[in-house]
Amino acid sequence: MTTLEKQFAQTVAEHKSTIYTVCYMFSQDADEVNDLFQEVLVNLWKGFESFEHRSDIQTWIYRVALNTCISLDRKKKRRQSEVRLTMDINLFEDRDEDTKQVGMLHKRISKLQPFDRAIVLLWLENLSYEEIGQIVGITAKNVSVRLFRIREQLKNIKD
Amino acid sequence: MNNNDFEFENMRQQMTTLKNKLNKQEIVNDRLIRHSMKQTAGNISRRYYMIMALCLLMIPYSYWAFVKLNGFSIPFWIFTCIGMLICGGGTFYNSRKLSDSNLMTNNLVDVRRRMARAKKFDADWLFIGIPFAIVFLGWFMYESYLLHPDAFFNGLFWAGCIGGTLGAIWGFSLHFKTQRQYQEIIDQIEDLTDEA
Repeated sequence: MTTLEKQFAQTVAEHKSTIYTVCYMFSQDADEVNDLFQEVLVNLWKGFESFEHRSDIQTWIYRVALNTCISLDRKKKRRQSEVRLTMDINLFEDRDEDTKQVGMLHKRISKLQPFDRAIVLLWLENLSYEEIGQIVGITAKNVSVRLFRIREQLKNIKD
Repeated sequence: MNNNDFEFENMRQQMTTLKNKLNKQEIVNDRLIRHSMKQTAGNISRRYYMIMALCLLMIPYSYWAFVKLNGFSIPFWIFTCIGMLICGGGTFYNSRKLSDSNLMTNNLVDVRRRMARAKKFDADWLFIGIPFAIVFLGWFMYESYLLHPDAFFNGLFWAGCIGGTLGAIWGFSLHFKTQRQYQEIIDQIEDLTDEA
């Protein structure tokens, strides 16, 4: 492995839960999570060398992950990955109490439009309105307006 | 849960639960990462190299085909080369703005702006491409007439006209297809980002 490849592997390992969370929220089953995860990694690698560290790496990862997931969600494009995600967790099938809670979160978020899904996901990650705005490309004021509407919308979603 | 009691804070707690579960997992293996890295040399890089290679190849090829083989003038060859280089350079410049890495690492609103700029650049390209094609075809006919007047009146003229027409149809269909694709992407992003 070259130095760049090692750096990339380390970055992915450090931010795996961030990437996985985004993929999970844009998926309907475990296979789709695998496909999205793979696709996000490919896009991260494509831009990794040219990433200039002008923004926080986590912000950049969010941006790539969300763009990839929204883009694939938009096209409803599915491709079968040759390499599967190695994990013991299946948030779509496990039945313990924590997974049920996570499932409720997934159910609510998945009813939102992809762009709103991205905003609420970033808000749940405790990012500031400014940071959310930078990632999705709208103003902080616009983020707060949209979050207010999302909140109203979520109130009306039946569990 | 009572819908009226629903608060974002509950979702934050659920998110914390999710993170805790994920942090306990070994999600990524080396093979998955390596597999991702192997896919770098994608379509975009290949397209860049192909465009640049074709432009460079056209310089010696057109010299051989026009000047050496048919005796066309050197200024005509230089004109052809300049046209090819401008065309290749313009395509390369526009494609670079649309590379996968650019699309994925910028926010959607920026992507939309890039798309709009690329679409305009592509549309404006006709102001250069059409005059160039007309001058090129006219000059080609003129050179053919000077060198082979008999052949010119015995079919070369019509062959040039048919070739030019077919080229124009192909070029325009590609142009409109590209414009339509740009617009589809812009529309899709607007659907996502517009206020509900």
